[in-house]
Amino acid sequence: MSLGTLTCVALGELERAVMAQLWSADGPLTVRDVHDRLERELAYTTVMTVLGRLAKKGLVRQERDGKAYRYAAASSREQMAAEVMIDALGDVGEDRTAALVAFVDRVGPEEADALRRALDTPPQGMPRSPES
Amino acid sequence: MASVWLTGLALVLAGPVPALLARARWPRAVPRAAIVLWQAVAAAAVLAAVGSALAAPEALLRVLTHPRERTGFPLLIAVGVAAVLAGLIVVRLFGVLVLLAVRTRMRRARHRDMVDLLARAEQNDAVGSLRAGTVLRVLDGAVPFAYCVPGRVGREGRVVVTGATLDTLGPDELSAVIAHEQAHLDARHDLVREGFTALHKAFPVVARSREARDAVALLLEMLADDAGRRRHGDDAMAGALDAFASRGGEGTEHDDVLLRRDRIRAHVQGGRALSVGIYLAAVALVVVPTITIVIPWLTDALQGLRPL
Ligand SMILES: [Zn+2]
Repeated sequence: MSLGTLTCVALGELERAVMAQLWSADGPLTVRDVHDRLERELAYTTVMTVLGRLAKKGLVRQERDGKAYRYAAASSREQMAAEVMIDALGDVGEDRTAALVAFVDRVGPEEADALRRALDTPPQGMPRSPES
Repeated sequence: MASVWLTGLALVLAGPVPALLARARWPRAVPRAAIVLWQAVAAAAVLAAVGSALAAPEALLRVLTHPRERTGFPLLIAVGVAAVLAGLIVVRLFGVLVLLAVRTRMRRARHRDMVDLLARAEQNDAVGSLRAGTVLRVLDGAVPFAYCVPGRVGREGRVVVTGATLDTLGPDELSAVIAHEQAHLDARHDLVREGFTALHKAFPVVARSREARDAVALLLEMLADDAGRRRHGDDAMAGALDAFASRGGEGTEHDDVLLRRDRIRAHVQGGRALSVGIYLAAVALVVVPTITIVIPWLTDALQGLRPL
């Protein structure tokens, strides 16, 4: 299937699946590695395009390794979760309102800390990502 | 004379008026009208400040010089100084606004990307009450928590909730929370908020811009609460706020959530007359100074520019 026929939702779902592979890998992966790890019928070029998109968004690091590129997640899943929360909750201080990102309906800074801690250490026995 | 009036008006609109308005309780009964009034106060304050910057050099020239000297070079200087003063205010405000808008949109785009990747896939369709054009994302998290990320034009906004929100809130409460976030997105509350944030960043000290920003933020929350109440009832909205508040700590944000909950429980609701009165006041704030001060001054100033 070509990328042009994919809907946005499907593309988003693919990005999540690819990212899950990068997160669970021990080191940087080539497009071929990611393609092989994904247990579904996908064109090699589709995987390459998805990795390219993620790299363009700054979510994936692209490293040259001889002739091929290797890809790694720019941050771990836990780091990303923390970044999202800090972004949403706002920094404590002058610029702290969530106006930059969103409207947050929640409570005080202690809770924010608790939330960050909760997100930093995912409960044992939980899969690292919904896809895996 | 116009210069004195405009300076006075700018000072009153930047100082005592926002201070009083931020402390008043009646805006809570009519959040929509109150937000419009805040916007009118801000617009009138900026206009008056620009007007006084434009008028002051010419007024100074009048005081210092004889009528016959008020032509040629001195007048040119006065006009130049006026243009620079007024330009400083305008450029500062718009510069800050543009920078804020660009940074905000970049951060939001990244935030949307990250939320999309982190969301629990199987629960993204868990709640069916979202309108088309909005996507619900459920994140891991042990604390009930909900927010929205506005989308770009033509793109989808995100309503984000934690797993704990789904576990803690009843179905009606959850629907009310989502209706609340949806109201923020539909009515582009973020743009209103951005305006006041820019005003505060541009003029952090001179004016009571922080009070304005915070008061408007709270009124926007109340406006969104009212959307949730209309669709899912007072009990659902107040119950959700109660759940958010009871799991939390201290701080002004916590107090604000309690304030919003109590406002709903007390059925604070303003009459039509109050709203209409506020809207009229808002229009008057912008129109009356323009007609009574600026137009006569402009006519006068233009006559002064005519060769003798
Ligand atoms: Zn809100």
